[in-house]
Amino acid sequence: MRKNQAGVGLSVALALLLAPLDSFAQEKKGAAKAEEAAEESAESAADSSEGGEAGGEAGGEESGSGSLEELCKIDPENCVKVDMDAASKRDIDADMYAVQQIWALRAKRFEINPYVGVTMNDQFVAHPGPGIGLNYYFLHWLAGGVNANVYAGMNSESNFNFETSRAARVGQPITEYQWNANANVTFVPAYGKFAAFSNFIFHYDFYFTLGAGAVSTRPIAVVDPDNRTFAFSVKPTFGGAMGIRIFFTRYLAAMLEVRDYIFWEDLENPSIATGFNSAGRPLAQDPSTWLAGDSSFTNNVQAQLGLSVFLPFSWSYVQAK
Amino acid sequence: MTIKHSILAGLAGLVAGLAVVGSASEASAQEIQITGPLAGAKAVRRLRLHRDRRFDIAPHATFTLLDEFRRHALFGARVNYHFTDWFGAGLWGAGGISYNTGLADELQTKAVDNRNCAANPDTLACKRTAVSLCRGSECLGNSQLGSIVWMVAPQATFVPFRGKFSLFGQAFMDADISLFVGPAILGINERAECAKGTCANPAAFALESRVTATATFGLGFNFYPTDYISFGAEFRGTPTTWNTSGFDIAGEAGNTPDDAIDSNDRSFHFNPMVSIFASFQLPTEIEVSD
Repeated sequence: MRKNQAGVGLSVALALLLAPLDSFAQEKKGAAKAEEAAEESAESAADSSEGGEAGGEAGGEESGSGSLEELCKIDPENCVKVDMDAASKRDIDADMYAVQQIWALRAKRFEINPYVGVTMNDQFVAHPGPGIGLNYYFLHWLAGGVNANVYAGMNSESNFNFETSRAARVGQPITEYQWNANANVTFVPAYGKFAAFSNFIFHYDFYFTLGAGAVSTRPIAVVDPDNRTFAFSVKPTFGGAMGIRIFFTRYLAAMLEVRDYIFWEDLENPSIATGFNSAGRPLAQDPSTWLAGDSSFTNNVQAQLGLSVFLPFSWSYVQAK
Repeated sequence: MTIKHSILAGLAGLVAGLAVVGSASEASAQEIQITGPLAGAKAVRRLRLHRDRRFDIAPHATFTLLDEFRRHALFGARVNYHFTDWFGAGLWGAGGISYNTGLADELQTKAVDNRNCAANPDTLACKRTAVSLCRGSECLGNSQLGSIVWMVAPQATFVPFRGKFSLFGQAFMDADISLFVGPAILGINERAECAKGTCANPAAFALESRVTATATFGLGFNFYPTDYISFGAEFRGTPTTWNTSGFDIAGEAGNTPDDAIDSNDRSFHFNPMVSIFASFQLPTEIEVSD
């Protein structure tokens, strides 16, 4: 019941987040910011270019100094002082970029990324848990950082595990996780924008992450729970991720990532040792007999849904649009 | 309240807090009124209409995800006609093959082959699993594990998001995100039903075809390198109840085995799957919006 309440609370909070933010985008009817509207001019110019026409750009130029003055009155701080006569005589580089001036610039910014992780590939035990990532973007497309997940107290065995074990009378070795922590390198090769219902625009990017770190896990005693109690132990881990970020503002984005944490896992010995050791104790109580001989290559594939907050909140572009 | 619930509640609070902070700071910026030539301008102009009044024919390969006992590779095609750039209707169909997951192979080895219940029928494990486990080499896949054989789905497609993306700010491509929903008809192979007292009989371990109707929905990412060829991927869910294992896991009284295989042993599955496709748009000429 409490779990459901927490889930409902999270859903309501996400809805609260998403509902008002829809209106941030670049709406029609003159309600959008001047800067965003100007970007749309560039957008239409780019689209024209892609379509082999130049009408969009020409239209923008024709608006002349009159409209520039009006824009400067509205936002004098960001007013661009251009000698229109001189500018009109300059050589024009007709190449248009897919994204003229990146709306959500990441270079030299910190990213704080709280998220919730959900197991995707373990049908026997779910390992959900919160996590947080911290990154610094050295370049717009390259970041270094760390992330950590906490699983302690949240591992839960599935009905599938119970039903399969009961029907087949086979004890499947299962494990629980405590935490993991990783150092990461993130690449952001693709950046773009979408028009939703042809009415407002949101920006997004795709990214890839490579990382390595440590994970703390232990087997859950299934075969001989009367004698066996396992302690958590730390193992090295590595892996990669791919994800998408959707920007609501220049500093706030929702993110969804699929990450594979790879490590060699210790599993419970499916056999119970018989006999006694030299001290006369049953071998079944000897911890050295509790683990299976070989470690198991494990992929913990996890979906991570959360938010990205970029700091500082704002910046100045080196070049005007 | 447990640690888990405390953390979830804390995260909900964090999200709510960020929502309030985010909305408050940006709302004021929108008060600037555009009075220049851009006032009332469209958010997007001169949009290439990749879908408007065009057919979309897409052969695809589809792979099921999170499979318990059988993985599926389905192959087929999608045919849509788009009445507008944001709405279309059509048919999605696929059929294919299935094969054992690692868990199914492990069960076959440990619970079937190693026990050799045909030769040791009186052991406790063999007696207790007589209704739920077949006997014989590779019998799980051949006589009791369920699989999806084919699927047909008439579906409506909505395209709310349309845009483009760039790779390192250089190469760029048109893209859109589509949502689709519709009824689905599934052809399933499932362990045949048997009445109490008969299910331990070797003849009771046999697969039977069943056709069931349900709904399907999902979303697709579509990329347009040219005016008439695109490619992309779709994620699809087709929730339905079926018996993937062939086990006796429940009965009329609830989650207690009743030594019968019937509809009580079916359980809910979301049946997630991913398709990759190449698509051809006809006619090949494309229109551009104002």
